[in-house]
Amino acid sequence: MCDNHHNEPFKPHLPDLDQLQKGLDRRNFLTRTAMGLGSIALGTLLGKSLFGNTLGQLSSPKPSEDLEAEILRALPHFAPKAKRVVYLFMSGGPSQFETFDYKPKLVNMFGQPLPDSVRQGQRLTSMSSNQSILPVVPSFCKFNQRGQSQTWVSELLPHTAEVIDELCLIKSIHSEAINHDPAITFFQTGNQLPGRPSIGSWVSYGLGTDNENLPSFIVLVSKNAVKDQPLYARLWGNGFLPSEYQGVQFRAGKDPVLFLDNPEGYDGADRREMLDYLSALNKYQNEVNKDPEVEARIAQYEMAYRMQTSVPEVMNISEEPDEVFELYGPDSRDPGTYAANCILARKLLEKDVKFVQLYHQGWDHHGGLPAGITGQCKATDQPTAALIKDLKRRGLLEDTLVIWGGEFGRTVYSQGKLFPNNYGRDHHPRCFTMWMAGAGVKPGISYGETDDFSYNIVKDPVHVHDFQATLMHLMGIDHERFTYKYQGRRFRLTDVHGTVVKNILS
Amino acid sequence: MILLDITTYLGHLHPLIVHLPIGFLLLAVLFELLSYVKRYEYLKPAVSFALLLGFISAVFACIFGYMLSLSGDYDLLNLANHKITGIAVAVVSGLLFLCTTTAFRNKISISRWLFSSFFIGLFFLMTYTGHQGGNLTHGSDYLSLKTLRQRELKKPSSVDEALLFEDVVQPLLAKRCSQCHNEGKMKGELSVQTLQGLLKGGKSRPAVVGGKLHESELYERITLDPSNKKYMPADGKTPLTKEETAIIKWWIEKGMAMSGVKIADLKNGDEIKPRVAVFLGLGDGGEIADNSGIAVNPDIPKSFNQNLLDSLRNKGVHVRLMSHNPVMLDITMPAGSGDKLGIIKSNLRAVAKNVIWLNLSNNKLTENDLDFLPLMTNLEKLRLEKNPVADGISSQIVGLQHLEAVNLNETKITRACTEKLKQMPNLKRVYTWKTLAE
Repeated sequence: MCDNHHNEPFKPHLPDLDQLQKGLDRRNFLTRTAMGLGSIALGTLLGKSLFGNTLGQLSSPKPSEDLEAEILRALPHFAPKAKRVVYLFMSGGPSQFETFDYKPKLVNMFGQPLPDSVRQGQRLTSMSSNQSILPVVPSFCKFNQRGQSQTWVSELLPHTAEVIDELCLIKSIHSEAINHDPAITFFQTGNQLPGRPSIGSWVSYGLGTDNENLPSFIVLVSKNAVKDQPLYARLWGNGFLPSEYQGVQFRAGKDPVLFLDNPEGYDGADRREMLDYLSALNKYQNEVNKDPEVEARIAQYEMAYRMQTSVPEVMNISEEPDEVFELYGPDSRDPGTYAANCILARKLLEKDVKFVQLYHQGWDHHGGLPAGITGQCKATDQPTAALIKDLKRRGLLEDTLVIWGGEFGRTVYSQGKLFPNNYGRDHHPRCFTMWMAGAGVKPGISYGETDDFSYNIVKDPVHVHDFQATLMHLMGIDHERFTYKYQGRRFRLTDVHGTVVKNILS
Repeated sequence: MILLDITTYLGHLHPLIVHLPIGFLLLAVLFELLSYVKRYEYLKPAVSFALLLGFISAVFACIFGYMLSLSGDYDLLNLANHKITGIAVAVVSGLLFLCTTTAFRNKISISRWLFSSFFIGLFFLMTYTGHQGGNLTHGSDYLSLKTLRQRELKKPSSVDEALLFEDVVQPLLAKRCSQCHNEGKMKGELSVQTLQGLLKGGKSRPAVVGGKLHESELYERITLDPSNKKYMPADGKTPLTKEETAIIKWWIEKGMAMSGVKIADLKNGDEIKPRVAVFLGLGDGGEIADNSGIAVNPDIPKSFNQNLLDSLRNKGVHVRLMSHNPVMLDITMPAGSGDKLGIIKSNLRAVAKNVIWLNLSNNKLTENDLDFLPLMTNLEKLRLEKNPVADGISSQIVGLQHLEAVNLNETKITRACTEKLKQMPNLKRVYTWKTLAE
């Protein structure tokens, strides 16, 4: 071993770092050149357009960092009801007709064209807009009234029906986008175009962490799903927020986070020392060029170090009793399945991870819907209900908000040829059903109504931004006051929209 | 375009230049009058030179003033007045200068008294012109007896009696906006001096629309990012405070942008009272309610000791701030750190009334360790699961009036405990999974 040199303060003597020391970064460069232009302007007396404005901006007393600090200091804006969120995202657009939105009058209309008075010329996707007829198709499954609330639930969801009195169904959610990518991006970031931070990133950035040893925003994607529509990391991305607030995806399977184990032959004893030295090196560089990415990288190294112990602990399901696996269903012993992810989500919530998001793909049933949705429900119904039951008995539903839903609903008419036992449904953003349960939400209610075709909303519409505003409200955030300034504009999750749905709050 | 910029630039110099003729001519008047006194006779010859300087600078002031008038921000009638009298000042001072020249004196002689009376006339003309100019910039009621009387008369004695628009919104706008947006100087064609002016709005659209916040340009402009070109007040003038913005927001949204309504007669007027009280200087307003409309237990202290919080955090306790006002805390002792309870107990006692949620789960604690619980009188949620606490715990928590939920899963409690907890009127949920009381 060499001497104890790394206890000495770090002094670089590399020519590469000399360059950095000069500090000629973009900001400095622009400031200096702008000053130069300013003095030229002074000399030529070109009036206020150069004179007043340029100098005025340079001496602007309020850098945006202070603004951000002020906004963060004000959080939370009021006492939150929810301490954690688990968002079960059903990607692809689950049909409301086969799940929660019971439309008995359709039974007598099998195969009849969708009346123009209902459609009102509204846009269709290009997948069904050239169909000669838009035949109405009733749901193939039976509905029953369940729970004390006597809520209609599809026979495909027998387990969810058992917890229906815990759920707050929103039957009148509506979106603006009609295709998957913009619709899911809209739901997760408040904007149809990529680039904005996801809900989990906003929450994580605004409220910080309740457990230093785990990321505050964790994403789990089911491995046992039909991968009909892709998911991409930007759905849980940080957008323009600092990188350490992006969602951390745990891989489906035994090893959820790669490279957490020490390499062979290394016992990890001096890792702390190594990280301290690396951190000093990074901080030294960052004093010069102030790159927020370097700060994010330092935070991530530290998090990875802590996760070396915290992740194996939380992933260890050997101590879970058989009764738990029975509750979550047969898939739950197979890591990476939706059921196993639900158990994992419960364990992460127990550890006070603030935002856990599950994704389960395969709900995009343009054709073969009866078989497709039966399979989807089979894979998700029992684990979802089990998660509710498990959180409830453990007392975690007190302060955990559970959300279930997709990016849009499906049409009342069949896409493609309609058979008595087989049909498909196209995308329908104008109304669909999602539910919330737990902290701060009224249990056992249905909110909003659709018409007899579940085509238009007739009562209490809830826009995606309204849902987002409500979610933020439950976390103690006034969505209008929580902004982040980027490229000269203040952004927020709900852009300039959104109203908290007060009637579903308990 | 450069030419245009120079015009604008020079125009903006008018308020500066204009003080030169005022100074010179005042000096001329003063010298002229003083020279009647024997002691100051020697000032007489200087009058001519002061007049010349006054005349030249007055000409410049007129030219620059004309350039400024081209900006079109000013009320035409007042402007015309100011323009004519301003030019008159320049002409009169020029003529008076001519009177002092030897060439002129050789031809016509006027009596000294007449000459002096012209001077006094010039003084009044200049005063009038100056006042007109001031009115253009600051508004016609900036310096008037009417303003003086108004301010003396009005001052509501209580928040209830105050008229929301007349006593609060109008003075607020007068303070922040009417320097540029008054009847005399309608920048952007907007005057905020009257409700009519606000409803009519400026160049583009109404400044306020009752009940429609997002159609009200006034609100939009004052809530833009300060670096935005359209942000108001412009040019680095003092911005509205958050509280002032909140008052305007409330007035437009809930007060329907109406005038002549007393706060007491407003629907939901209580919401805005604390802010109005602060604005009118009638008390500190107490607690300014949040717009969330969530009812908060009034017994929770509004403040706390930050050092105690830091101390708790340093001892490994997780403290989450749930609300700033009142100060509501969510305190979690990490699982397996129960042996540290001894060293944090005194801190917990000190912040007891601020603790709203408390999580002590999985820390090998018994009811004897939890003697501080009765102090936490504002506690709403308590988690004690996975601790060897027994039935005795009920006596520690039975007095907690605000307790809504208690988690006693996997503890040693029996039905005796849950029976006792049933006496608590506000306790809604008791978790007893994996206990004998299940």
